[in-house]
Amino acid sequence: MGEPIDCREAAARLQDYLKQELTPELEAEMRAHLERCRPCFGHARFEANFLHMLETRARRCGCPGTLRERIASILRTEMERG
Amino acid sequence: MAEPSTAGRAFDAEALPHLDALYRTALRLTGDPAQAEDLVQDTMLKAYRSWRQYRPGTNAKGWLLTILRNTFINDYRRRKLEPVATDLELVEPHAIYRAIEDVDPEGAFFSKIVDEKVLEAVDALPPDFREVLVLSDMEGLSYGEIAEALEIPVGTVKSRLFRARRLLQASLYAYAVETGIIPPREDHDG
Repeated sequence: MGEPIDCREAAARLQDYLKQELTPELEAEMRAHLERCRPCFGHARFEANFLHMLETRARRCGCPGTLRERIASILRTEMERG
Repeated sequence: MAEPSTAGRAFDAEALPHLDALYRTALRLTGDPAQAEDLVQDTMLKAYRSWRQYRPGTNAKGWLLTILRNTFINDYRRRKLEPVATDLELVEPHAIYRAIEDVDPEGAFFSKIVDEKVLEAVDALPPDFREVLVLSDMEGLSYGEIAEALEIPVGTVKSRLFRARRLLQASLYAYAVETGIIPPREDHDG
């Protein structure tokens, strides 16, 4: 792991960290910063809660059963056609 | 009725589990349930017809969402002629966390807003921001998958996503203050 990162660097990496898009090394540096910096930890938790809320809301809605049936029927016709 | 072919069964197994994600994304892109249904149906038919181009074991969800998005752009979006990338650089709302960290540091207010209002706020985002946010934060695609689907650089995905989240937070914050879910800051210029 490299040099400890500061709050500015942590803020710049926060989005990638939450998306799990950092390399293992950069993620470890970020995690180390969040462990010792309460303001950044608070901000990260706020953003993580926001993302969790968004994902939860998205998952409550699904494909209507009627559409599912219609698609299955169209695909069946298409498959029989070959 | 004839039995489905091996290819047909493979398509069913790979594609049908993603119908929920396709419908949700279609609904956010079109903003209309009837159009969303048509878009998903068109997408599935196109996907089946180009099934041979799909490499088994790769990301079926990303592949299907790419077809859906392209179909939307080519056949649906032009019906509405939505503005693309207007004044995006001018949009820079303040970070909501800084405004609220004293009263609601964990952002509990987000979960007090009903689903309908959250989705309305997503739908009100500029189209370029909305599609990135939906694919990333609602459907879980990676930066790389989104960049491929939208044919834009990863850096653009990241900057749009950052701004989309800020805009959405600002919109939900304003709604929460307006409806009394959170009190306005006393020292705010309000």
